[in-house]
Amino acid sequence: MSNKVAIIASNGGLFDAYKVFNIATAAAATEKEVAIFFTFEGLNLIHKQAVQQLPMPEGREHFAEGFAKANVPSIPELLEMAQEMGVKFIGCQMTMDVMGLSKEDFVDGIEVGGAVTFLEFAKDAAPTLTF
Amino acid sequence: MSLKADVQLDAKGLACPMPIVKTKKAMVGVNDGQILEVQATDKGSLADLKAWSESVGHQYIGTKEEDGVLLHYIRKSGDDKGIEKKFEQTIANEEVIDRAANGGMILDVREEAEYAFGHIEGSKSIPMGELEDRLDELDKDQEIYVICRTGTRSDLAARKLSEKGFAKVYNVIPGIGSWNGDLSKKI
Repeated sequence: MSNKVAIIASNGGLFDAYKVFNIATAAAATEKEVAIFFTFEGLNLIHKQAVQQLPMPEGREHFAEGFAKANVPSIPELLEMAQEMGVKFIGCQMTMDVMGLSKEDFVDGIEVGGAVTFLEFAKDAAPTLTF
Repeated sequence: MSLKADVQLDAKGLACPMPIVKTKKAMVGVNDGQILEVQATDKGSLADLKAWSESVGHQYIGTKEEDGVLLHYIRKSGDDKGIEKKFEQTIANEEVIDRAANGGMILDVREEAEYAFGHIEGSKSIPMGELEDRLDELDKDQEIYVICRTGTRSDLAARKLSEKGFAKVYNVIPGIGSWNGDLSKKI
């Protein structure tokens, strides 16, 4: 059985962030080796400023109350937890070039790489998930 | 009534995936064979902790609900099947009920929480770690059938009893983990 979980994060909303980081931290807690490839809007999830105020999907703003009531951890908290548990973050070089962003714009500890960097990790991972 | 646990973790009020993350961290401070009690209010933790235990290799014992709080019991690294059994007097699962009916005693040496979630009716519970201090509760003239989950702890217990002068001791093989009969939850 594979001990790796590979995740592609390609969307940048609050809900997307929860899907990505919840699965990632749960997998890491289950002693899996986890890597997340952040590409296109997914880069918001590790961008120093953007991650502090990720948008709710339009018309779903009322869920904010539900998040508070369910005592769901904040995305920055989940992000930190994921890193602490050894989840590897890979920023997509190509998207960063297109958007004019550099490694310094992102949280500490990320790697920057191309598609092949991720594919190399994901080649024997099960499951590979896309959000 | 709360069951005996070696380590307790308060994960009340936390949403997924926090109970799992906290459990993983708490397990670091638990020794092999010890029991962790996870207190959670997240209803998803019921299925999650069971799946997590199986995936990581711990023994999920069971869950009970008390005043709206789920109490999950997990035994660290419960898989001790690989250890060689040395005690020679053994008895098969299938024979033990009939034999015990003739005046023998079934002695369950698993942890209290494991016993609580399913044991042979009429069996006596003395967890392995307490055995040495509770020998006076046992009768040297009686046949004693020592049982655990996989036959490993009971092997150890049977050897200990034999050293202490109990001659009519049998290790029940393979144990509660493969039990086909009814199990009671009455304590």
